[in-house]
Amino acid sequence: MVALKSTDTPPGAAVPTGGQTGAAAALEAMGARRHEFKGMLSYTVAPDRLVDALNEVKSSGFELLSDIFGIDWLTYPGHRGQRFTVAYNLYNLAAVERIFVRTEVADGEKLPTATGLWRAANFMEREVFDMFGVVFDGHPEMRKLLTPEDLDGHPHRKDFPIGETPTLFNDGRYLDPAAFRASIIGSDSGLTGWKGGARKGVRSEQELELVAHEVTGQSGGGE
Amino acid sequence: MTVENAGYVARTTAVERHGEFETRHMRVNVGPQHPSTHGVLRLVVDLDGERIAAIKPQIGYLHTGFEKTMENRTYQQCVTYSNRMDYLHGFAHDLAYVLAAEKLIDARVPPRAQRIRIILNELNRIASHLVFFGTGVLDLGALTPFFYTMREREKILDIFELVSGVRMNYGYFRVGGLSRDVPDEFVPMVKDFLAMFPRMMEQYRDVFVGNQIFIDRTRGVGVLSREQALDYGLTGPSLRASGVELDFRKAQPYGGYDDYRFDVPTSNAGDAHARFMMRFEELGESMKIIEQALEMLEPGAVRDPDRRISLPPRSELETSMEAVIFHFKLVTEGFHPPRGEVYVPTESARGELGYYLVSDGGSMPYRVKVRVPSLINLQALEPACIGGLFADMVANIASLDPVMGDVDK
Amino acid sequence: MALKDLFEKDVQELESEGILMTSLAKLVAWGRSNSLWPATFGLACCAIEMMQSTNSRNDLARFGSEVFRASPRQADVMIVAGRLSKKMAPIMRRVYDQMPDPKWVISMGACASSGGMFNNYAIVQNVDSVVPVDIFVPGCPPRPEALVFAVMQLQKKVRGEAFDEEGIKLPMVEGWSR
Repeated sequence: MVALKSTDTPPGAAVPTGGQTGAAAALEAMGARRHEFKGMLSYTVAPDRLVDALNEVKSSGFELLSDIFGIDWLTYPGHRGQRFTVAYNLYNLAAVERIFVRTEVADGEKLPTATGLWRAANFMEREVFDMFGVVFDGHPEMRKLLTPEDLDGHPHRKDFPIGETPTLFNDGRYLDPAAFRASIIGSDSGLTGWKGGARKGVRSEQELELVAHEVTGQSGGGE
Repeated sequence: MTVENAGYVARTTAVERHGEFETRHMRVNVGPQHPSTHGVLRLVVDLDGERIAAIKPQIGYLHTGFEKTMENRTYQQCVTYSNRMDYLHGFAHDLAYVLAAEKLIDARVPPRAQRIRIILNELNRIASHLVFFGTGVLDLGALTPFFYTMREREKILDIFELVSGVRMNYGYFRVGGLSRDVPDEFVPMVKDFLAMFPRMMEQYRDVFVGNQIFIDRTRGVGVLSREQALDYGLTGPSLRASGVELDFRKAQPYGGYDDYRFDVPTSNAGDAHARFMMRFEELGESMKIIEQALEMLEPGAVRDPDRRISLPPRSELETSMEAVIFHFKLVTEGFHPPRGEVYVPTESARGELGYYLVSDGGSMPYRVKVRVPSLINLQALEPACIGGLFADMVANIASLDPVMGDVDK
Repeated sequence: MALKDLFEKDVQELESEGILMTSLAKLVAWGRSNSLWPATFGLACCAIEMMQSTNSRNDLARFGSEVFRASPRQADVMIVAGRLSKKMAPIMRRVYDQMPDPKWVISMGACASSGGMFNNYAIVQNVDSVVPVDIFVPGCPPRPEALVFAVMQLQKKVRGEAFDEEGIKLPMVEGWSR
């Protein structure tokens, strides 16, 4: 019953065509923007072409939907573009390739659902809705997944506070964790009096010397 | 923001008429506090007699907000959080996270650190599968094998305690390598374990693998075809039981896995029995990897010597001013990776695990998205259970091996 | 606790209660302390260490916790093992309410006792705000030996041999109120 096989495609499986190059050609024909970073290939499409793009990629052999997730660019320094990015992480088993299909949405915009293409998108899209508030049209069960019913708001948005409770010590000292950490964030001197090396995302002169790697020519690293 | 009820949250099940009889499916709530749900999983099951007509997992009872918390900690501090997600295979999360951070910052991890990481990862995989077996057959009614598997797990936890000081939820991996080198007793202890374990696997074969009741309760139960498994995004041993040969240790080797020779067990049956047996075979494969890694283990550094990432050794702090500055900046602020996004897929005991890190150049990750295997695998519970008996649902949950910390993040 | 001790102490309590009832109450308390059956309330990582405390190396059963009852109606003590999320809190309260008296709660681990390393919107920062806790066990996760020690302390509390932080003796468990 248990077979220890070598890495061939199993017999009887449909052998899809195209792979990354096929998908790339199809997506670029749709007007997608290509981006490559450290071996990871991603394409950004418009929301109305999203389902077509995913269909093209699926028929090029990317049969496994690994993940759907969102990114909130609200506090990203130097970001130009819409507030949210929803990215689809797709994997091609036969060709051992991975591709990311991304789309940018503003707050309040809706996206078409991918549950017609992959049932795996069900929980994933519900999680994106729960955490960011992006509604997926056509989803069979568009409701929260992880947070309690009485939690209003979408926790992974950058303007949703992390909700830290101040710590009360036995001797009566109150320690607010955010103030205590402020020196690491660099936004103010916090309780230590030291103003941190650099603000989050901004490089000081010292930083530019210390960090050897520079990513050249990019406005927002994740577009 | 209001959400339209998209049809699911019906108060009662639909009524069917058979002549004068009015029947209705019975809606049963299983959990979240339940001995067989492997944690706080709530299932709403519609029953047609003993057959399951619909099953909907309701999750979130262990939602901890890991991702948001990790966005407020430095890169090195996030390592303490990652292993608490999938607490049974904590080293897999640690490894996935540090690999992603190391890819982002282009750290060079010394080979000794890579080998030790792999040894610990595989030992943890064995430990996780032992818990899987212990609790899995416990759900099916076999009380004794639990003690057998936990006995071996204690020996593995002794090794982890030797190395990191903690039995579970280790803080041993660092971005750039390990926090410190392993003690001298590590290699003899692992060798003793490897010498002893095959005999124990024979005991497991006697106690539950060959047990007719176990076979009857799991064979033919919860069959998932190849297309269904891929459609539902299943990964890991459950996918391999449905005939898809996908193991990221072989397909996209990471962290030094391409140095080792091992096989990937697959099966075409797709039922719960196959899913159980996949993990049993994997125990043998993990042992092979650990043996090869022990042979190839050579003395050397265990951290990336780059001072921008790793703390300098304490002896240097007495003599060098630069070391003091690096130490200060690293401890208070942490290192600053360049802007960018990375994703490194790894193979945990449950499936594909990966950390998608978005960096904005600051000392804390801008966005951490964990691609957790258990959350996606749990969706496959629906096709596996529908049409089957209620008692088979327990076998299906056990064979899919969800860990609720992993599911709810 | 030897039966001889029981009868020796009773001589002092003769005026207040009467010999038979006091010694019977002590007997009941001794019996209850030595057969505390926990309810399965494992939430996260601490649940695994709780399972490990029942295995053959650290055997919790020798202290009387022979079985972990799945039904709270048959359990004496609820070991809250793991981080309690705000979604789970009402359910935990309901499980606690379903337990018959006398009942106790052990808050196992840092996350149950104080929120642990998770100071955020999702985790209840102290389980004591939902259920009354008798014993807090620190650790992340506490070793099985620590949990066994906590059960031993709870046994002392049940028998009336434990003291609170001001040095006042905590009362023995009531024998006849329910």
